[in-house]
Amino acid sequence: MGTSRTDFKDTRFYPVIFMILITVVFIGVLATFYYATEEKVRGYQEENLKQMILKLFDFPSDNIREDYQKYIIEITLDEYDYSFYRAVQDSVNLGICFPISGSGLWGTITALLAVTPDMNEIIALEIVSQNETPGLGGRITENWFKEQFRNKQIIIGKNIIKFELIPEEEKQKDNEVKQITGASQSSKAVVSILYNEMRKIASLIGFDYE
Amino acid sequence: MNKKKEIFMISAFTENSVWRQILGICSALAVTNLMQNSLVMGLGVIFTLALSGFTISLLRKYIPRRIRMMVQTLIIASYVIIVDLILKAYFPEISKSLGPYVALIITNCIIMGRAEAFAGKNKPFDSMIDGIGAGFGYMLVLLIIAFVRELFGFGTLFGYEILGDWWTGWSIMIMAPSAFFMLAILIWIIEGPLTTRKK
Repeated sequence: MGTSRTDFKDTRFYPVIFMILITVVFIGVLATFYYATEEKVRGYQEENLKQMILKLFDFPSDNIREDYQKYIIEITLDEYDYSFYRAVQDSVNLGICFPISGSGLWGTITALLAVTPDMNEIIALEIVSQNETPGLGGRITENWFKEQFRNKQIIIGKNIIKFELIPEEEKQKDNEVKQITGASQSSKAVVSILYNEMRKIASLIGFDYE
Repeated sequence: MNKKKEIFMISAFTENSVWRQILGICSALAVTNLMQNSLVMGLGVIFTLALSGFTISLLRKYIPRRIRMMVQTLIIASYVIIVDLILKAYFPEISKSLGPYVALIITNCIIMGRAEAFAGKNKPFDSMIDGIGAGFGYMLVLLIIAFVRELFGFGTLFGYEILGDWWTGWSIMIMAPSAFFMLAILIWIIEGPLTTRKK
């Protein structure tokens, strides 16, 4: 029998069968690991999102679950499969937080945009996930970049503003945002996502814009 | 016992993957601005090297020669994905700060290099020791570079403040170029003044 086994190893089927078998075994192991950790990973992601929303409105987030329940109201538009968040403190409406997303240079950029209750002004912007080049486009997560959007008018009258990009060292005007040196595509992507998603959101909630 | 120690010493120091063979440079440059990231990256590479070496060695008599690289990649990738999943589930903050680099362990040349050079020809446990050694040597380099970069860049080590408020961080240390300088200086020190190797 020994010889027939050696013979089989020499046939051209052996590598194919070996590869199929070993792939099945390893995929099986990976699938097991994936399902074992899936719930934990998702739980963390949800918690992380809640914390980000709380931070956008400067709410305390030491006890995420309680604080979230206290300050944030989730609103789901079933027909569009879209959820956004209203921040309320002592029954005063502080603002709205919209999840936004769009394509960056290498992959999807997702972010949270907090605006005033009348939607005219940006309160804060937070990047949730991105796959931009680390050290270049990845810098869209840096505070100086995100902070530029704070208190900027995004809707004036009936116009949704598309921010203009300027080089890092120049002084900026109201509708201008400093782009990241060496990562103009990623900077451009963030600005486009803001504009496109604001238009989409405006039409979802029935805001009349030009 | 002595043989195992020798295997470890050779792969960790004498034939160190980074300063002797100049392998794994990409990730050595990328994650070394923080000690913590370097440590986790190093541990991830040790884990992957040890287990992939062990597995590849265990299967070495059955792996058809012509497709051995495919098989090695499959095995290495599987262990890397396991590391990634564990980090995501149990150390989410670290996973987030390492970003795509964990998944990129797959492309770390050290792992494929050890699989080809050692695991394919030696016994499973020896291969595991060799993997741990090579990973340890890699981690050592990462930590040395990260020590200097974090200390001068942020004034901290493992996030603990060392230099105090008066210190102004050198932003070059945080950015990638400093890693090039640091790595080059390190290789020069080790291969130059520190080595009296006769060729």
